[in-house]
Amino acid sequence: MIHREAGVFQTSYEGDMSLYTLPLAKLTNGVMLLILIVGLPLLLGPHKMSIANTIALSAIGAIGLNILVGYTGQISIGQGAFMMIGGYTAAILSSRYGWPFWLGIPAGGVTTMVAGTLFGIPSLRIKGLYLAIATLAMQLIVPWMINHIKWIGGDLGSIYVDTPECFGFVFDTEYKRYYLILVFFLLAYYGAQNLVRSRVGRAFVAVRERDFAAEIIGVNLFKYKLLSFAVSSFYAGVTGALYTYYLRIANYENFELPVSIDFLAMIIIGGLGSVFGSVLGAIFIRLLPVALDLTVPVIAEGVFGMSYQNSANFLANFQLLIFGVLIIGFLVIEPAGLARLWEHVKRYFRLWPFSY
Amino acid sequence: MQIRRFIGRVFVLALMVGVASVPLALADEIVIGGQCDRTGPTKFVGTLICPGITDYISLVNANGGIEGHTLKYIEVEHAYKVDRGIEAYERIKRDGGVATFDYGTPIVYALAPRHMEDKIPGITPGFGRADAADGERFPYIFPVAASYWSQGAAAMKFVKDKGAKKGSKIAYIYYDNAAGQEPLPIFRDICKLEGYTCREFAIPPPGVEMAASVLDIARRFRADFVVSHLFGKAPAISIKEFRKNGYPLDKIISLVWGAGENDMIAAGCEDKKADGYLAMHFAGVGRDFPVIQAIIHTVYEAEGKEVPSHVGQVYYNRGVFNAAIMVEGVRNAIKSQGMPVTGEKVKLGYEQIKDFTLGGLLPPLNVTAQDHEGGGWVQIYETQGCDLVKNTEWFQGYRDIVMAEIKKAGEKE
Amino acid sequence: MDRTQKKGFVISGICVGLLVLAYMFNPEKAFFLDLIINGLLVGLMYALVALGFVLIYKATSAINFAQGDLVMFAGYAAAFMMVDLGAPLLVMVVVVSVGMVLFGFLQERLILRPLVGQPIVSVIMVTIGLAFVLQGLVTILWGAKTRELSLPVSDDPIILGPVFISPINLVAGLIAIGFLIAFGLFFTRSRLGLAMRAVADDQQAAMVVGIKVPSVFALSWGIAGLAATAGGIIWGNQIGVDTFLNLIGLKVFPVVILGGLDSIGGTIIGGLILGVVESLAAGYFDPLVGGGTKDFVPYVLMILVLFIRPYGMFGHETIERV
Repeated sequence: MIHREAGVFQTSYEGDMSLYTLPLAKLTNGVMLLILIVGLPLLLGPHKMSIANTIALSAIGAIGLNILVGYTGQISIGQGAFMMIGGYTAAILSSRYGWPFWLGIPAGGVTTMVAGTLFGIPSLRIKGLYLAIATLAMQLIVPWMINHIKWIGGDLGSIYVDTPECFGFVFDTEYKRYYLILVFFLLAYYGAQNLVRSRVGRAFVAVRERDFAAEIIGVNLFKYKLLSFAVSSFYAGVTGALYTYYLRIANYENFELPVSIDFLAMIIIGGLGSVFGSVLGAIFIRLLPVALDLTVPVIAEGVFGMSYQNSANFLANFQLLIFGVLIIGFLVIEPAGLARLWEHVKRYFRLWPFSY
Repeated sequence: MQIRRFIGRVFVLALMVGVASVPLALADEIVIGGQCDRTGPTKFVGTLICPGITDYISLVNANGGIEGHTLKYIEVEHAYKVDRGIEAYERIKRDGGVATFDYGTPIVYALAPRHMEDKIPGITPGFGRADAADGERFPYIFPVAASYWSQGAAAMKFVKDKGAKKGSKIAYIYYDNAAGQEPLPIFRDICKLEGYTCREFAIPPPGVEMAASVLDIARRFRADFVVSHLFGKAPAISIKEFRKNGYPLDKIISLVWGAGENDMIAAGCEDKKADGYLAMHFAGVGRDFPVIQAIIHTVYEAEGKEVPSHVGQVYYNRGVFNAAIMVEGVRNAIKSQGMPVTGEKVKLGYEQIKDFTLGGLLPPLNVTAQDHEGGGWVQIYETQGCDLVKNTEWFQGYRDIVMAEIKKAGEKE
Repeated sequence: MDRTQKKGFVISGICVGLLVLAYMFNPEKAFFLDLIINGLLVGLMYALVALGFVLIYKATSAINFAQGDLVMFAGYAAAFMMVDLGAPLLVMVVVVSVGMVLFGFLQERLILRPLVGQPIVSVIMVTIGLAFVLQGLVTILWGAKTRELSLPVSDDPIILGPVFISPINLVAGLIAIGFLIAFGLFFTRSRLGLAMRAVADDQQAAMVVGIKVPSVFALSWGIAGLAATAGGIIWGNQIGVDTFLNLIGLKVFPVVILGGLDSIGGTIIGGLILGVVESLAAGYFDPLVGGGTKDFVPYVLMILVLFIRPYGMFGHETIERV
């Protein structure tokens, strides 16, 4: 009753091409923006704000990875390495040459895009497992370079960066940092949504589904694969740079292999091929350790009466176990991820209250 | 469809329960906290340090708390990951924490700016940033035990005492990351000073396979002494490799994180395969200390609980050390500045720590506003069978070189 | 053998020749020989772990990121039986082998079969999930402390002239060779092995001929479990049994790229190459660039191989190119 296309007419080209055509969609979008911009900072304390910041940062990277893996079907396990490149670029430019953050972040993105393109040129000629392993190799080579090439990594491999400030406005609380990240997140999100609806996005999907058929209808496979790699690297670089400004330190140990795997988990659980899914996946993966931290000890001590020390080791490993079980469970039960679950919810409400 | 909806609801419920829960601190409690690594690369250390901390806190609370106030310690698992470490710090801060124990060198690096901003002091005993010994540059970071620079210097002093002379060959084997690379300037300075022939051997973490490097040290370079800065899984593997090459283990001196009981077991101590291996410690080893006996008595025996085997072990005692320092800082803060306790007061409390030995578990510790390290005292223990036997008393090494390096780091800023 | 494989032999022949030359002109002959021998022996042990991975990939096209964790799991089971329960060596080997094979069947049934037809990424992710489960499970079941898995081999080095050989490395290498040869024979000579190769080649055709493809899938996971047992026992002895044992799984990728995913022989060669390259890198390359190259040089080599010869030294040219 509420969510229906009947009765909705577009009277202009702009209206027809806009991202949200249904009134309900526009309304939901507006409400979400309101929550993000006004609601969250009002409701959340600094600790939860820091979690929200981490989620927002991860979401940007997840969206980028989803463009590459979900929409174009290219497997990459090197997301962490690209974030390193973006992060260190921003750190070097800011700490050594005094670039402000609003130049450092795009610079980080561009450098990573260039690096990604260069890496992509030879490796996009191989498929599947081989590309995955090539990106895994990057994940090991980039930290080594940062660690050993002193010009990049400095003496100890980490570079400190000053608190970002903009014409005297210093981003020194979690809330101010939140707004900084939010700006980039919204740009990333709406940018990606538009990208995937466009000709380029459709080309990506064509490459994923049946690449020789795409070639036959005139999609230049190599160009679009490379473009996908470049866009995804740009997102990763921006994420890395933002993360560096957020932590005020660039350290390659923050972006090692487990981080790349985390991002893969985000897009798979969130839903491959869905920008909104990437965000859902980021929320899930980032909140899960916190949620487990808070719920499992309560249950263990309350229900089973285990003392903290006896249970602490068990609990920490139990969390690991639950993490794995959830991933497997998700993939077995709903391989298309949280985005598909969300689609189910929306579809339910299309016919509500007549759900036959 | 049903199962999906059900899972969805359970998941949402769990999230709501988790995220909405806000633990309340009791009005009279003093809250401190720290991270713990029980599942990550340093789990062999974390699973022992953390019980050490909580047991000491239990002991203090059982004896009436600090000046009558109970102490609450919040432990948060972070698996040695920086983002989880930061979230842990924020959580402790939210719950009213006035002092923290930062677990892990990369975590210390990432949290240093936040400690300054929030004015909450963090202790980093035995790891972290060596230049944080300078209390004026880093007012809120307290190494309170030998940093990697001091450890490296002490190792070189020990090597000299064992007979190294001009032209001796010293090998430095280390993890190829920030923690492992820290002692390098000290090592190189001392090598130049004493005229040793030195070579460095970097092992990429996690150091599961290092045969070629050990082969090089033992058979090609033929080192007279080896200074080893490995932790996690690597020390045990290094011992095995050195044995395979017939290299005498008593020429190896390891820094503080390379000789836990678990490492010795992994190296085969039950078959006497780790005999002679030397390592330095910044806290006493074993149960023969009044404070450990007090813990055994009050926390375990009085409650009718069995004493776990890890009480008195290397890393457990370091946990007791950590907790004791934090308690002492808080106690000084209350005594000199009164309640309520804040991070700034605890910082001043730390700087008032004088001649603190905790019944012999520590070397006499003196912390000042300029020196947050306390002198960098270490003790050497030797492995015999599966036991660690004291080999030297507390000593320091080459303090002048370490101070010069701290000064140099300050001038670079 | 087709043209690309012949080229593979030529290239490897040249490499071996270069190594021999390097030996002859080397002032430190003993050290060089030590490095090579050590590298070869360790390489065989890498190949053993990679074997399980290759088996699963060939039969089911699934990329098993949890191979290292399976090795760890098997190692833990073995150590638990020997250390905690005091079981004799032979009993332990039999029980753990059977257990791991059954466990492999279970994994295939519960985790992989529901994902048939899903994109490769999902399969990779599910094996990553499996890896986490195994890591958590192993500590909950058997505790985090390190256990020593002792084999009845002495520790003192065998001295052949100027060269030291560690007996345990030698024994491990021989066990690895034995296993690899046994598997090779299984695949070429037995009916089951033939069926598995048929499924690896073309699933549809195999089904047409009457081969039960799901059973072959299950069998491949079972045999991978067996390979994991061997790997777990050997590596558990080398580095001790604890949760770090799973790190050996990361070495699988350079092995399969260097040697090709197509054959058991390729796995052996890939392992040998990896072992020797790592050893030489640590011995000669490290002092030049300041260390830490052992882990990263094989990956650089692997990238070069990927871009020039993606099918490894001895594989067939079946990689699709854009």
